[in-house]
Amino acid sequence: MERRRFIMNAGRTTKQGQQICAGKDNAEYQATVGTMSMHPEDMKAVGILSGSTVRVRSESGETTFKCVEGKIPQGMIFVPYGPATCRLMGQMSDGTGMPTSKGWEVEVEPIPSELPAEPIAS
Amino acid sequence: MGGKVTCTLGEVKNRADFIIYWGGNPAECHPRHFSKYTLTQKGKFVPEGRKGRTMVLVDIRETMSAKAADIFLQIRPGKDFEVVTTLRALVKSQPVNRERVAETGVTVEQLQDIVDRMKRARFGVIFFGMGLSMTRGKHMNSAGILNLAAEMNAFTKFVCMPMRGHGNVTGADVVLRWTTGYPFGVSLSRGYPRFNPGEFSTVDLLVRGDNDAALILGADPGATMPQPAIDHLGRIPTIVLDPKVTHTSRLARVHITTAVTGVSATGTVYRMDEIPLPLRPALQSPYPSDEEVIKRISRAVAAKPSWIPAPQSATTAFA
Repeated sequence: MERRRFIMNAGRTTKQGQQICAGKDNAEYQATVGTMSMHPEDMKAVGILSGSTVRVRSESGETTFKCVEGKIPQGMIFVPYGPATCRLMGQMSDGTGMPTSKGWEVEVEPIPSELPAEPIAS
Repeated sequence: MGGKVTCTLGEVKNRADFIIYWGGNPAECHPRHFSKYTLTQKGKFVPEGRKGRTMVLVDIRETMSAKAADIFLQIRPGKDFEVVTTLRALVKSQPVNRERVAETGVTVEQLQDIVDRMKRARFGVIFFGMGLSMTRGKHMNSAGILNLAAEMNAFTKFVCMPMRGHGNVTGADVVLRWTTGYPFGVSLSRGYPRFNPGEFSTVDLLVRGDNDAALILGADPGATMPQPAIDHLGRIPTIVLDPKVTHTSRLARVHITTAVTGVSATGTVYRMDEIPLPLRPALQSPYPSDEEVIKRISRAVAAKPSWIPAPQSATTAFA
């Protein structure tokens, strides 16, 4: 099981915006903000299966996401803002009033029960 | 240098022939921006519409907006300030270090091409999003962009505008500005406004646990702020006014359901170019508007005796 460091980029999506109108308790909204995207090569390197659950750690905390392949540059992960990103984001604003909500370093590791049966060839 | 050289979105629609989006994804987050104001509309001085405009997107990943761009500059994460500063240097024909520029993920030639196009434009506009202001550099990145737009006016007309978020965030800034002189992070605890981001800004107050009560109006910090701030809201008496039950409602002591402004309540919202727009409700709601609730709370608070003891004069104190 390998841990690797990535730049986490949180943002908004149209889907998320539409789902907010239906309510944040909505299962679809919860699924959207609980899913992160990653470059397929990065997923292979860390040993993550598409659709499996991964643990993400930052200096501020940790949480889990469902991980899927996406058109994301290597070394970066993308997650829509939501309760899970709150656990990872920077806590102080460095005197600006704005917390560091994008571009912080995180560690990503697969959860052992979700590892593939056969090791993935790199 | 300071301040913001800006305009209205109507001017952008009618005049802008060179548009830069930096650290924003309008195709997903402001889906009507391209079609109403910046790209596809035929303007008074841009009669060809899309063909008469050039759009540059600067971002760290290829978002949906990249499909609409004529030029996409993919820069490395956290290198916005370096790219802005290089552009400012090139605008003034100053020498730049090629190796240092290469660390940003783009070349000097790419940036020089952008600068040449900016100078050739008749009316240029830079829209910047949270990809610029919430990442490494934060307000210094925004200051760099604002200065770049201001400095471009030595060559041609250039303006700048932040891509404001959902709801009426611009309205909150504008109203605070005209009532206190400051846009956010204002403390009125001494009876007069004091401005100090980092000390009086919401995130910092909540993370440090400085406040002992909270009134949340039209926002959901329970789903957007750092976890220690959310935990503090759960510890103190928190009151939420919102048409819907949100994450913040779940940890609040009181949730008051209010009518949706613009749908079933009247009001004014500010567009991102700070133009106030009056809203006419189309439906009736059984719930009160935010304004009615706040006025009732304000009246009830005003009717209570002051918690500050009345000052005693020297004569009465020693009589």
